Amino acid sequence: MEYKIEKKKAPGRDEVEVLGATFEKGKPEGEDAGKWRQKLDSREERLKYLQSGERYFYSQEWFGSEKRKNPA
Amino acid sequence: MAEEQETKSIDQGTIELIEKAAKDGVNTAFDRAEAMKPCPIGSVGSCCKHCGMGPCRVPLPKGKEETPEEKQKRRGVCGATAETIAARNFIRMIAGGAAAHSDHGRGVAELFLEVARGGAPGYGIKDEQKLLQVALDLGVEIGERTNNEIATDIGQIVLGEYGKQEGELITLRKAPLKRQELWRKLGVAPRGIDREIVEIMHRTHIGVDQDYKSLLKQGVRAALADGWGGSLMATELQDILFGTPAPILGQANLGVLEKDEVNIIIHGHEPLLSEMIVAAAQEPEMIELAKSKGAKGINLSGMCCTANEILMRHGVPIAGNFLQQELAIVTGAVEAMVVDVQCIMQSVQTVAECYHTKIITTSPKARIPGATHIEFDEHDALKSAREIVKTAIENFPNRKGNVHIPDNKTDQIAGFSHETINYLLGGMFRASYRPLNDNIINGRIRGVAGVVGCNNARTKHNEAHITMVKELIKNDVLVITTGCNAIACAEAGLLVPEAAKKFAGKGLAEVCETVGIPPVLHMGSCVDNSRILIAATAMVKDGGLGDDISDLPVAGAAPEWMSEKAISIGQYFVASGVYTVFGVTWPTTGSKEVTDYLFKDMEEMLGGMWAFEPDPIRAAHLMIAHIDKKRKALGIDKARERVLYDMDMRRELDAV
Ligand code: SF4
Repeated sequence: MEYKIEKKKAPGRDEVEVLGATFEKGKPEGEDAGKWRQKLDSREERLKYLQSGERYFYSQEWFGSEKRKNPA
Repeated sequence: MAEEQETKSIDQGTIELIEKAAKDGVNTAFDRAEAMKPCPIGSVGSCCKHCGMGPCRVPLPKGKEETPEEKQKRRGVCGATAETIAARNFIRMIAGGAAAHSDHGRGVAELFLEVARGGAPGYGIKDEQKLLQVALDLGVEIGERTNNEIATDIGQIVLGEYGKQEGELITLRKAPLKRQELWRKLGVAPRGIDREIVEIMHRTHIGVDQDYKSLLKQGVRAALADGWGGSLMATELQDILFGTPAPILGQANLGVLEKDEVNIIIHGHEPLLSEMIVAAAQEPEMIELAKSKGAKGINLSGMCCTANEILMRHGVPIAGNFLQQELAIVTGAVEAMVVDVQCIMQSVQTVAECYHTKIITTSPKARIPGATHIEFDEHDALKSAREIVKTAIENFPNRKGNVHIPDNKTDQIAGFSHETINYLLGGMFRASYRPLNDNIINGRIRGVAGVVGCNNARTKHNEAHITMVKELIKNDVLVITTGCNAIACAEAGLLVPEAAKKFAGKGLAEVCETVGIPPVLHMGSCVDNSRILIAATAMVKDGGLGDDISDLPVAGAAPEWMSEKAISIGQYFVASGVYTVFGVTWPTTGSKEVTDYLFKDMEEMLGGMWAFEPDPIRAAHLMIAHIDKKRKALGIDKARERVLYDMDMRRELDAV
């Protein structure tokens, strides 16, 4: 799962790099339908996903509605 | 005759098979429930048989108020009051339920450790993501270690949680912070899983704990050890071994059985062996063998929670829920029913003897006289699985002519684990519960209800489940479901996205259409109720809906409950801050004090409480009223009443 960088012309500036679409084109079909976890394919990516996607439980600095409190 | 059977189930195929059973002279749970009424004293918790001086029956006087003197005398031989007796009975149910779930979890943990140590060929770590997640939960070092090294530590820690004597369960830390603090303050944070269950057995022995409040508090502690301990760990480790569920299409109801194929039904609760049976049934040699016996192939299907497990991970169809187990055999088309533990009627063997079906028991903990026993050996699980599949295939030529498979299968989408809901709502780059919380705050979704639990032969099969769920979604309450309720919903066609348009209120239907989800989300088996706890915690942590589960506009229900496991589940939901309504019957009505404590005082103590309402529409309305109460407390009740002004209305306003 790699970030896609697109180059775009910006008004008053030269070309700038922007983050491209973060979704995959088309609809998953057959065997792949619904299987999203397999898209993370290295341990590093998986840990990164836990910290962002599952930040409620695993982020170092973000505790949602509980962020003012100390971790239990 | 047909009319009489129609009072027994809302499902046409089920009615057809009840009729066939009667014609074939087969006795089923439906007949037994009619022939034998429940004991009126035992059913309200007023009978104690905890010692050889009893059983002592202490029923409330009929049709009149009891005088204080009469109440004084209403005691067992040992002096135990009706309150003590009702509370003892109630928490022994919790002990039974918590033990069942937790022993299931222990079995998974034992296999898990064997897998990590390389002693269980055929199994492996399927979901590294979940392995890492659990490692973080349990404080296991990750670094550059191999999956098996990490898993070994996890397995040891989890097994240790069962026998832990002091401190508190590590997984309690997954709960909202405020909830954890409350449990500690009340002294109900469980120390070790086994310890809390054993302590119930001790306290309820003659002459030990004789204060109903103290007894019920221990019930809370053991139930928490189940929900946030044994059940949660069972779910997590199963996900690591077999994969965290993601949306998958499947089918449901007795019509999934195939006339020309070898039908094997896997019934019970643990996915350990069933995963291997799924693999064995796909082997070309097995399919060849089936063909050599005159069958077109091998058709696997599930029943009860094993069904939910293999549906969520492999799309294996579900043949039915608890009350359909005997009827599946009555079709005359089942070569083998493979059972492990929990919710297996002993009578499946008697019914099987009327047809050609072989009942195959597989757990050393659960044997049935007359059944074929092929013990599951985790060290060579595929061998056990192959032997089972072969036994079924070889039974195909014995099938008699008397076959009737109802034409009643429906499509369903299952596999909504917490992780998948989080992903579906926010995507890979910002998985989140935010859209759910936002839609609750803006009022499109009124709240969330967990509707779970069994079937009960004392009430029309699936009727309360479906009536309640339809009433909830009609009122914009998103339903999450597990266990036999999930199967009932699948059979009624509620687990497909199209159901939103047909049955849900406008707001909920809009959200379902946008996200592409059904209005009722299938989260798994009964140990997977722990997924509901985690989803509720994620809603809290995402923010905007208070800082504890008891602040959320949510409610729980088990409209057709019957098992001790359901009582344990209900109690851990209540202890987690959820208003929980049960149907059919209530096991403490023999004591007003105990019932009031559960229905009223627990709210003050825990923010969640029990309720009893057998009418599913009224029960749904109680849940909706609770959800609205919570919306009001959060100050989001106005969002639902908001009026969108059109141009004419604006002009009118301007003119004022
Ligand atoms: S423990 Fe007490 S109430 Fe129970 S059976 Fe014995 S004497 Fe009766």
